Amino acid sequence: MNRSVVLSETGNLSVRHQWGKFFQGLFLFSTVIGLIVLGILIVTVVDKTFTLVAVTNKVDPATLADRPLEELSEEELRQILRENLRPARLRTIERDQAPLDEMNQADLTALVTTEIVKPTTRASYPLFQSLTRRAEIEAEIRSEYPDAQIYFKAWLTWDFLQRSMSTKPDLAGVRQAVKGSLWIIFITILVAFPIGVGAAIYLEEYADHRSRINRILQTNIENLAGVPSIIYGILGLAVFVRTLALITSGAVFGVDAGSGRTILSGGLTMALLVLPILIISSQEALRAVPRSLREASYAMGATRWQTIWHHVLPYALPGILTGTILTVSRALGETAPLILVGASSLINKDPQSVFSFFTTLPFQIYNWTVRPQPEFRNIAAAAILVLLAVLLSLNATAIVLRNRLSKRI
Amino acid sequence: MPRATLDRQLHQIQDEVLTLGSMVEQALVKSVDALKRRDVTAAQQVIRGDQAVNEKRYAIENGIIAVVATQQPMAHDLRFLAAVLEVIIELERIGDYAKGIARVCQRLEGVEIPIPSRDFERMAEITVSMLHRSLSAFVKEDASLAHRIPDEDEQVDALYNSVYHGLITSMIQHPEWIDHSNLLLWVAHNLERAADRVTNICERTVFIATGELLEMDLDDYEETE
Amino acid sequence: MSEQNLSNHFAIETRNLNLFYGNFRAVKDVNLQIVPRKITAIIGPSGCGKSTVLRSFNRMNDFVPGFHMEGEILFHGKNLYAPDVDPVQVRQYIGMVFQKPNPFPKSIYENVAWGARINGYKGNMDELVEGALRAAALWDEVKDNLKKSGLSLSGGQQQRLCIARALAVKPEIILMDEPCSALDPIATLKIEDLMRELSENYTIIIVTHNMQQAARASDYTAFFTMDEDRAGVMVEYGETSQIFTNPRDKRTEDYITGRFG
Repeated sequence: MNRSVVLSETGNLSVRHQWGKFFQGLFLFSTVIGLIVLGILIVTVVDKTFTLVAVTNKVDPATLADRPLEELSEEELRQILRENLRPARLRTIERDQAPLDEMNQADLTALVTTEIVKPTTRASYPLFQSLTRRAEIEAEIRSEYPDAQIYFKAWLTWDFLQRSMSTKPDLAGVRQAVKGSLWIIFITILVAFPIGVGAAIYLEEYADHRSRINRILQTNIENLAGVPSIIYGILGLAVFVRTLALITSGAVFGVDAGSGRTILSGGLTMALLVLPILIISSQEALRAVPRSLREASYAMGATRWQTIWHHVLPYALPGILTGTILTVSRALGETAPLILVGASSLINKDPQSVFSFFTTLPFQIYNWTVRPQPEFRNIAAAAILVLLAVLLSLNATAIVLRNRLSKRI
Repeated sequence: MPRATLDRQLHQIQDEVLTLGSMVEQALVKSVDALKRRDVTAAQQVIRGDQAVNEKRYAIENGIIAVVATQQPMAHDLRFLAAVLEVIIELERIGDYAKGIARVCQRLEGVEIPIPSRDFERMAEITVSMLHRSLSAFVKEDASLAHRIPDEDEQVDALYNSVYHGLITSMIQHPEWIDHSNLLLWVAHNLERAADRVTNICERTVFIATGELLEMDLDDYEETE
Repeated sequence: MSEQNLSNHFAIETRNLNLFYGNFRAVKDVNLQIVPRKITAIIGPSGCGKSTVLRSFNRMNDFVPGFHMEGEILFHGKNLYAPDVDPVQVRQYIGMVFQKPNPFPKSIYENVAWGARINGYKGNMDELVEGALRAAALWDEVKDNLKKSGLSLSGGQQQRLCIARALAVKPEIILMDEPCSALDPIATLKIEDLMRELSENYTIIIVTHNMQQAARASDYTAFFTMDEDRAGVMVEYGETSQIFTNPRDKRTEDYITGRFG
C-alpha cells in the first residue's frame, strides 16, 4: 500500500461513526426523558407537601392559655380539656383512645387542637404557585375568609409521622400506616425469604434440569411472577382471610381479632406475591456462582451440602439479598392485594401483633387521594414522601449489607 | 498445514547441507587432481577453499541453534536437526582431508617421486560417489540406501591396502624417498578416512528415518583418530 | 514402553474405558496404566477427550448430565465406578487442580484448612496448613499473611495455593487439568518444578495443551486424538523421552511436530 494513503479515509468510516453518534444521542435522550419524568414526579409531590394555607380556628388558642399550646404542661392541657369539653365527649375520647392521664404532651396538645381549637384549613395553595403569586392569593383569601391566618405549612412534619389517622386532614398522621407497612414487610421477609431461597437452592442445585416435571415447575414459577397482584389478593382473601380465619385471626392462639383481616393474612399474601420473583432472582444469583468454585469444593471431597453451605450460598448471598430487597420493595408499594385482604381505611389503634388489623402506607395514600377535600391531597403527597423515604432506607440497608458481604469474599 | 515457517527453515538447512556437501566433494576431487598434476596453484586454491567450508559449517550450526531455540522442534524435526549437526562435522572433516591432500601436493613440489595417482583417483571417485549418494539418502531419508552405501567402503579399503603395500615396497627399495612416501601414505589414509566419514553420515540418515542410533561397524573401522 | 518398565502395581488402571455424554461416545476403549509416583502427561488436540478421561478418575464427570461410563477404572484394585463406591470418598484420595486457579474466597489459611476440616481432620490444623503450604512451595511467600484472602495472591501463587489445598486432604493422586494455561512462563516453570518435587510422594496426572510442558515435566506421556466418529482414542503411551524424540505412530508424530490437521 502506498504510504500516503495509509491514514486517508477508506470505505464508509465517517458514515459508521455518524451512526454511532446517532445512537449515542438516542440513548442519552432516553436517559434524559427518564430523569425529567422522575423530576416532575418529585416536584409535584413536593409542591403539594409544602403549601400556603388559610386556616380559621373555631376557638382562638390565645383565649385558652397565655402561652402557645406546645409550651403548656400535660396537667395544664388536661385542665383545658376538662374545662372545655362536655363530660360525655371526654368519656368517648377516653374510651376510644386512652385515659387523659395516660396521654403524653403531644397527644394532649393534639386533642386540645382537634376538640377545642378546631383549626380548619380553608384553602391550600401549592408551593410554586404560592411563591409566584403570593399577593394575589393573599388578596383572594382575605376577601373570602377575613379572619383566616395565612402561613406556609409543611404537611410532612415529625408530628405527621406520629399522629394517628383522622378524618380531618389537618390532624391526620401516618403512624399506623408506617407501622402496618413495616409489620407486613417483616412477615413477608420472614416467610418468603427462607421458602424462596430454599426453593431456589432445590431447583438449582438438586433438581435434575432435564426432567419434565422440573421444567414444568420452572416454567410455572416464571409465569407466576407475571400474574397481576390483584389475583394474589383474591387468593389471600380466599385462603388466609376466610379458610384459615381461625389461624390468621389468632383464634387458635387465644387472641381473637374477630376476623382474618389481619397483618398475618396481609403478610402471607404479600409473601405469596413476591415468592416467584424471589425464587427466580435467587436462582439467578446461584447460577452466577462460578462452576470452578463448586468444582474446587467437590474435588476436595466435599459433599453436595457442604459445597452449597460453605461456598455456593456465601458467594450467592449478596445477589440473593439484592433480589430480596428489590422484591420486598415492590411488596412495600403494593396496594391492590391488601385492599382485598382487608386493610382498614380508618383505625386508631396501632398494630400490636400479627393478629392486629392494619393499614399500610400505599393503601393510606390511595385512600386519601380519593377523598373530596383538597387538603387530603396534601397529606397524601406527604405520605408519598414518607413511603419514598422508607423504600430508600430499605434499599440503602440492602446495599450496605451486600457490600459488607462482598468484601468478606 | 501448520508450521510453514519451520518447514521452510528445515528445507533451507537441508539445501545448505547439500551445498556444503558439494563444496567438499569438489575439494576432494580437486586435491587429488592437483596432486596428480603436481599443480601447486590448484592445491593452494583447495587450501584456501577449506576456509569457506568451515565458515559454511558454522553458519549451518548457528542456523540449527536458532531453529531449536525459536521453533521447539520435536520428534522427527528434532532428530533431523541433531543429525545435521553431526553430518556437517563429518563434511567439514572430509574437507580437512582434502586440505591435507593439497598440503601434500605443496610439500611434493619439485620432488621426483612416482605418485599412485590412478589408485588415488579411484579412491577419491568411490568416496565422492559414496558421499554424493549418502547425502542424497540423507535428504530423502532413505534408510535402505543408507544401509547399502557403507558396504562400498570395502573397495576403498582394498585400494588403500594396495597403495599402502606399494608405498612400503617403494620405501624399502628407495630409502631416500621414505619422507615423501610417507606423505603419500598420508594421502591414502586421508582418502580412506573420508570414506569412513561417509559411513557416519549414513548412520545419521538411519537415525532420522527410524530414530535408532546404530553403528555400521565395519571390520577395519577405526575409532576416531 | 516395555511391560517390564512398568511397576506391577499401577496407581490407576483403566480397562476398556468408554465414556459417554448422552449418546455421544467421548472416549473409546482406553487402556491406560498410570505408574505410581511418576508424572504422567496426557496430551492431544482439543476435543480428544483427555480432560474427560482425567475427570473420570475422580468422578468429576458425575455432575455432567447424561454422563456415563463403560469399562473399569481400577484404583487399588477397586473399580472407582462400582455401585458401592462413594464419589465423595474417591475425591479424598484423588485430588484435583484446575485450569484456572480457583482459590476459595476465604483466607489463605482457610483455603488449606477447609478441605481437611470437612473431611474430619482432628490433628493440629496449624501444622497441617504449614506442611501443605511448604510442600506447595508457597509457605515462605505467605507465612506472614495467612489471614489475607487467597484471591489477593498472584496467579501462580493462587495455583500453588490450590495445590496446597489439594495436598491438605492427603490424596494419593493429584489430577491437574491444564494447571498452567492461565499462568505466565515463570509461574509455569515454578509449578513444573513443584510437580517434580511432589512426584516423590504423589502420583501426578496432568492434562496439557502445551507439548513443551509435557516434554519438560512428565515421565510418561499418553497421546490422545479423535477417531473418525470424533471419539477420543489413546494413540500412543510411553516414556516421555521416547514419545517426543521417536514416536511410533504417525498421528503422534504429526501432533508432536505441530503438523496436526
